[in-house]
Amino acid sequence: MDALSRIPQLLVYGIVSGSILSLGGIGVSLTYSILGFSNFAHGDTMALGAYLALALLPVMAQLGLPSGSLGPLSFGWDFVASLLLAAVGTSLAVILLDRLLFARLRDTHRITLMIATVGVALALRNLLQFVWGPQPHYYTTTIQRAILIPQLGIRIKPDQIFIVAAAVLLALLLHLFLRYTKMGKAMRATSDNTALARVTGINTERVILWTWVIGASLAAVAGVLVGLENKFITPELGWQMLLSIFAAVILGGIGNPYGAIVGGLVVGISEEVSTAFISTGYKPAVAFAILILMLLIRPTGLLGRRR
Amino acid sequence: MSRLTIERVVSGYADMEVLHGIDLCVPEGEIVTIIGPNGAGKSTLMKTIFGLLKPTAGRILFDEEDITGLSPDRVVRRGLAYVPQVENVFPSLTIQENLEMGAFILKGHLRDRLQHIYELFPVLGDRQKARAGKMSGGERQMVAMGRALMLDPRLLMLDEPSAALAPNLTATIFERIAAINEAGVTILIVEQNAKESLKLSDRGCVFAGGLKCFEDSGPALLANEEIGRLYLGG
Ligand SMILES: Nc1ncnc2c1ncn2[C@@H]1O[C@H](COP(=O)(O)OP(=O)(O)OP(=O)(O)O)[C@@H](O)[C@H]1O
Ligand SMILES: [Mg+2]
Repeated sequence: MDALSRIPQLLVYGIVSGSILSLGGIGVSLTYSILGFSNFAHGDTMALGAYLALALLPVMAQLGLPSGSLGPLSFGWDFVASLLLAAVGTSLAVILLDRLLFARLRDTHRITLMIATVGVALALRNLLQFVWGPQPHYYTTTIQRAILIPQLGIRIKPDQIFIVAAAVLLALLLHLFLRYTKMGKAMRATSDNTALARVTGINTERVILWTWVIGASLAAVAGVLVGLENKFITPELGWQMLLSIFAAVILGGIGNPYGAIVGGLVVGISEEVSTAFISTGYKPAVAFAILILMLLIRPTGLLGRRR
Repeated sequence: MSRLTIERVVSGYADMEVLHGIDLCVPEGEIVTIIGPNGAGKSTLMKTIFGLLKPTAGRILFDEEDITGLSPDRVVRRGLAYVPQVENVFPSLTIQENLEMGAFILKGHLRDRLQHIYELFPVLGDRQKARAGKMSGGERQMVAMGRALMLDPRLLMLDEPSAALAPNLTATIFERIAAINEAGVTILIVEQNAKESLKLSDRGCVFAGGLKCFEDSGPALLANEEIGRLYLGG
């Protein structure tokens, strides 16, 4: 098959992986805008979520949640419940980390904080490896039949539709939260100007808590969805995606969660479509090229504003 | 009664002491203006009162209660409000959202309060959904003042409310300040371009080099030839 005729199918893959990148990127962008540092532990937070869901799956089944497949999907209610509880668990873990570490460093230089996140990243990944080992784990071994759409020349699995739908739903919920709730508005205010937020009476520590919870929840979901798409998880899962996530976030404009969504899709699609023309091995190079290009041409990103 | 009392306050930044022992009294219901050259420490005093900087010595009393070193959100709850000199609105929020943030610590509906601010500044009422970052300097100053008034503060602190405004807008702003004071709010103003402000003021103080070097009633300060020559541009 020639390169051009493969593009519709690669677009589908790109939208699926882009959805996951978007979910991961939102957390990085929010943390940057509210707390002022780049969180290199975000990828490993995703992996933590993926493993928490893995650990919860048998528990859910024991609690009597049906594990039979939901329609054409490869998973059942036990998986959905594990996904949601993994988001809760990951949030709690990240809040604990904030209390133990980041809160103490709140007023230090952002470079100090960034280095601390690198330490957390290493610690988390090694913890996962220590508990679950370096070998891959599987949520399900069900084989799924792809849906063919010959007119468009594409095939798509029901799980992939689920991934995109979940990402769209969560992005929509985030939008409603930021736009219409008091805490969402306070988050935007704090991201505009922390000192002014404080003299206005906004409880900025509570804003920070919400930032972690949203970022960690979306990271956990993203991590689980990676496992669903790849069919397996390893402790490396998040770390491997970090470059693409940062490329997405910077492309969209770091600090802007909407930018992270757009950036995630662009990077995801670019990476997949590139494989029509260059070897799959160069996928990370595509993200890297986007990152460098953006930093050269427009460092504030597509939707970014000057800070 | 004294609404705000500053006693021998020493404050500044990590590497530099700016205020070297300031005494100041803002009586209930009055307007007090602080004037003084660039770098005199006027903004530093406001930041110190509001808990953004911690004084290394001295006391700050609000309605006879010690508020020295309280964090800004606690200070807000006591009934003080502060409009900083620069960057005093949330640019990506709409006018209405800026005002809502002013009442963050309140639960429940804000409609009456918003209505009250829109009556005070009708321009804002016409543009509730516009982003504050897109507004002119004068409108931004109104948004900032409106935000600070959302909680019905007992003391309003304004840092250079007329800085960089056209003369006709300056007049509007000071007319609004007078109206706010009429409604019972005590006001502490810092001004460089101080004539307009002193006209309204019950008292005026002159700061220089981190010390208060002169204090008198507003009109007397305006009439004082030496002060006029040194600080009011002739
Ligand atoms: N964030 C800061 N960090 C360190 N030093 C500062 C800071 N802000 C102000 N200063 C210094 O503190 C001194 C007093 O500044 P302050 O802003 O209080 O003056 P001001 O009287 O408000 O002047 P202006 O009329 O220009 O607003 C100045 O020497 C200034 O350089
Ligand atoms: Mg100043």
